[in-house]
Amino acid sequence: MTISNKHTRRDALKLGGKSALLMSGAVLGTSFIRPGRSFAADALEPGMIGGPTGFPGAELYQYGPDSPEGRAIEAVKEIVGKGTAPKSIKLALSEGSIGQLTKPFPEGAPSIKDLWEKETGITLDIIGIPEGQGFTKTIQDISTKAGAYDIYTLDYNRLGDLAETGGVVKLDAYVEKHRPEWDHPTEGYVGGEQGVSLLNKYSGSYYGVSLDGDFQTWIYRTDLFGDDKERRAFQSKYGYELQQPRTWKELDDIAAFFHRPDEGLFGCTDLRNQGWGYTNWYQRYVSTGSPNRFLWSDDAEPLINSAEGVMATQEYIDSLDYHSPDAISWGWPEQYGNMASGGTAMTCAFSNMPKFLDNAANEGSKVTGKMGSMLPPGREIDGKLVRRSVLWFSLTSAVSTQAENPEICYLFLQWLGSSKIYTWMTANPAGYFDPFQLANFSDPLVMRTYHDYHVETIKETVRRAVPTINYPGATAFHNALDENLMAALTGSKTAEQAMADTEKQWSRITRRTGKEKLVAAIRANNAAWPTILDPLG
Amino acid sequence: MQRSVIFELIRYCLVLIALFFAMIPVFWMISMAFKPIAEWTASGADLTWWPKAPTLDNFRFIFGQNTNALIVELERTAGRAILASLLSSVIGTLIAMVVGTSAAYGLSRYNYGKNLPLALIQLRLFPPLAVMIPVMIMWTFLNLVDTWWGLSLIYGIVTLPFSFWLMKTYFDEMPKEIEEAALVEGCSRFRVFTRITLPMMAGPLASSALLVFILNWSDYLIALMLTTREWVTIPVYMASLSSSMTGQLYGAKAALGLIAAIPPVIFGIAIQKHLVRGLTFGALKQ
Amino acid sequence: MSNVDDTAKPVASGTVEKTDSHFHAYGKNRLGLYLTLPAQILVLFIALFPLLMQLYISLTDWTPLTGVRWPQAYQLWSGLANYADLLDDDRFYGALWRTFFIIIVAVPIEFFLGLAMALLFMDEFPAKRLFYSALLVPMMIVPAVAGYMFFLLFQSGGPINQLLSLALGTKVAISWLSDPDLALAAVIISDIWQWTPLMFLILLAGLLGVPSEQLKAATLLGASPWQRFLTILLPKIKAIMVIALAIRTIELFKIFDTLYIMTAGGPGVATETISVFIFKITTQELVWGYVAALALLILFTLSVIAGLAMYFLQRKKREVAA
Repeated sequence: MTISNKHTRRDALKLGGKSALLMSGAVLGTSFIRPGRSFAADALEPGMIGGPTGFPGAELYQYGPDSPEGRAIEAVKEIVGKGTAPKSIKLALSEGSIGQLTKPFPEGAPSIKDLWEKETGITLDIIGIPEGQGFTKTIQDISTKAGAYDIYTLDYNRLGDLAETGGVVKLDAYVEKHRPEWDHPTEGYVGGEQGVSLLNKYSGSYYGVSLDGDFQTWIYRTDLFGDDKERRAFQSKYGYELQQPRTWKELDDIAAFFHRPDEGLFGCTDLRNQGWGYTNWYQRYVSTGSPNRFLWSDDAEPLINSAEGVMATQEYIDSLDYHSPDAISWGWPEQYGNMASGGTAMTCAFSNMPKFLDNAANEGSKVTGKMGSMLPPGREIDGKLVRRSVLWFSLTSAVSTQAENPEICYLFLQWLGSSKIYTWMTANPAGYFDPFQLANFSDPLVMRTYHDYHVETIKETVRRAVPTINYPGATAFHNALDENLMAALTGSKTAEQAMADTEKQWSRITRRTGKEKLVAAIRANNAAWPTILDPLG
Repeated sequence: MQRSVIFELIRYCLVLIALFFAMIPVFWMISMAFKPIAEWTASGADLTWWPKAPTLDNFRFIFGQNTNALIVELERTAGRAILASLLSSVIGTLIAMVVGTSAAYGLSRYNYGKNLPLALIQLRLFPPLAVMIPVMIMWTFLNLVDTWWGLSLIYGIVTLPFSFWLMKTYFDEMPKEIEEAALVEGCSRFRVFTRITLPMMAGPLASSALLVFILNWSDYLIALMLTTREWVTIPVYMASLSSSMTGQLYGAKAALGLIAAIPPVIFGIAIQKHLVRGLTFGALKQ
Repeated sequence: MSNVDDTAKPVASGTVEKTDSHFHAYGKNRLGLYLTLPAQILVLFIALFPLLMQLYISLTDWTPLTGVRWPQAYQLWSGLANYADLLDDDRFYGALWRTFFIIIVAVPIEFFLGLAMALLFMDEFPAKRLFYSALLVPMMIVPAVAGYMFFLLFQSGGPINQLLSLALGTKVAISWLSDPDLALAAVIISDIWQWTPLMFLILLAGLLGVPSEQLKAATLLGASPWQRFLTILLPKIKAIMVIALAIRTIELFKIFDTLYIMTAGGPGVATETISVFIFKITTQELVWGYVAALALLILFTLSVIAGLAMYFLQRKKREVAA
């Protein structure tokens, strides 16, 4: 990519003239040359002090001096003026996300990186981290005092663990001073202060800035669900209409109906592998109670070794029947690849699946125009439907204590993670960062990238999503659950054994981590669970 | 030696069978490297052994050209990773060969370093992972993380046992009369080593170097731990070739794998005539 | 392996001095010191600090999650608790057993396949060079890409099942990587594929080193191929066989790259070997004191085994000499 871009740029320069400028729309706003500056569209709206320019609708993402973005930029300029600012900040970022910061979007716009550098004069040095290596590289950097990164980016579940290392900066003072307004009632995080607390706080203090919304959302194939022949066949076989499943039972029926491995079609491909599959166990388990079934009691006693835990686990095992025979070894790359080739009727994935696969620019996808999305299936309890999804992974940034100037790093994150810039960034199809703020869901660019049908689903899914374990020991707790679920899936343990063993291991980890520390964290986590119920009809 | 036609036929059949099994994954990699994205993970009835619509897109992609089917940002092109792999593997091999050969000669002829055989076996036996944390701390302290010289150094160290042991067996096997004659004629000891002994060892040196080079070239784990971006090697870079558009970029991985097979194969062909002779480990002496 | 006794144990020096007479006639020469010094320094460099540090933190509950830097790990002193835990860790034993299982299965298969191939290549036949080069290709493929290719080959709708279907005449749809036993088999198959060529190469080198006159003489005397193998070839290449087996055993003990990319140790822990186990607890659970204890335990055990092996080889050699 980089090489070819350079060529285009150089060619454009040589040609000069208006046609070349129009042609090079995609590369406008790069640090190399900014022909866009001369256009009228480049001017900021009156009263605005910064933000992207150069495309219709750019004013939506511009900000005035008294906004989270404006305050961040002004504060950075002040530090730069004092001469204490570093020349660059080093941002660790998962490789798949980098495009959203470096690739201009939409046509005519600068990239995020260029805009930041233009407004502050501080270079943004992005260091790609291979998928799955975020936590390892972060811990390596902290424990060896390497100082390779100023800002770490990793999944929100690890924030507690990360804070305990002492390798990241407590952001409370900065938050108070620069007011990021994450809990803004119409633009901020879903759930207001509670949402902020869930994503950015650990043990009452700010340590992270959320940059992602990995609410697991359900996808189905509209071409299959809308096919008259299929509808008739389903109706005569199951006695009810083929439609988006409302309960796990219906999901199982529909998936079994469409499961035709000989024709290269699986019923459902929500993940069953190590490290990822348990998010789908979560959804089945937490919906067994109304309004929720917790993993832990408020006194830090595990609740999973129960009739409901066993039932969810058994369903989770039985559902392998309509998965790929290789489901246990498939991660999301295989899942996305299979969906792109039209290999499944339904799946549950990160909310970005339609952004990438229902995408006319993606010539590799056979399902463009054939995707629909739906709420998570649930369970009927006391005349209401309990539908639950799960928030898992979700990239969050934290500032390293080794950073030359932590305040600048925080200010960059405040700028990037506040509603205007974040909305503009999340709409960019070149990376993984997904919408999670209220402002994101009503934005025209986001709607275009994520599709109208899906944005509505994401918003409603967010309201029904429970958090995963995000307190100290998160990795160990999840690994213990994971290990036992895998044993159940491969038949080396029964559902009962798996839950009993998980409970045993969880209790041991609890002892090691310190129960008092956990009780507070579990209560905070439980308090953030949704209580919304759906009508049956 | 009289051989029957039947015997020859059986031999050919067996060789062909062996070749068949050896070639399945190799063939799959080569074929994958030229497959368009739609054929990468096709399964069952759609499975294609030979690309239906062969393309060079995979190669273009890893070298940074925009290909329509793969609308993925590549932050780095494969060129840099190939350079990193070549540099660290070649220098690592040089370190291992120079240090290992000298030490083997010193022990074989002058009986210095009697602790080395066991120490080096222990070094090779030991899973590098088990000391990765201290090594990471050392490498950070010495500013060696994500540098080609840091990577070369660790490669040279972990393959030192191979070069040492291989060369030592050859030196032990080699008759000493020629060297002794030269010594008696007043040639300096160091000259004897460099001008008389080493040239006679060209074959063993070449085949040992090939083995050591393959081991360095193959490494995934050490580079994963000790590089961050500038000097990421081929295997680490390959692991990062995936995207949410298409999942794992198998075609791109295979294309890179195919390119990565070239240096060892060329090396192997270049020293082919030494290869078999060079690996007797001196074990035939007895 | 004849060199072992020259060096590891000075006891054997009686025989050594005779053969090395001229070099030793000049007495100990500084050149030997200079030549071995770099290797000594490198060994010391890579061993000294890591081992001391591992020894230190293995006696503590140090993990980066505590916020304590490693030099201060004494604050988390736990004595021998890590070692006690290790001896009581089923996952550790499982990983150890699986590693040995892979060695026990893969090494003999690689050995016999390699030997069979080497025997086929002993005499000249048309296009021998070409076949020989082609058979060495698997070990030149980067293990990482081999891992990805095997992952695809072993998919249930993948090429291996398709070949099996062709061969057996019925549709085969085995989920190799989703079944604990079959996943282990798949891992072993991938290792056999990649490293049989090395066995072949080493053993062929050995076989070709056997003087052809002896073989010709035996043939003239009417010895069958089998007799020729048993009486002439086998004794001559015994030592090289030991070396080939030793190299593969040592390398297989550390098996990681291809396996990790194919299965990541899964499903569950079905293919979790020692290296994968260490990798996981190092990068995910971060119990680094525990990893250190594990490292030292492995080092100690392996040293004892290696030391014993060298001792016995040397004694045998002395018996032969006597």
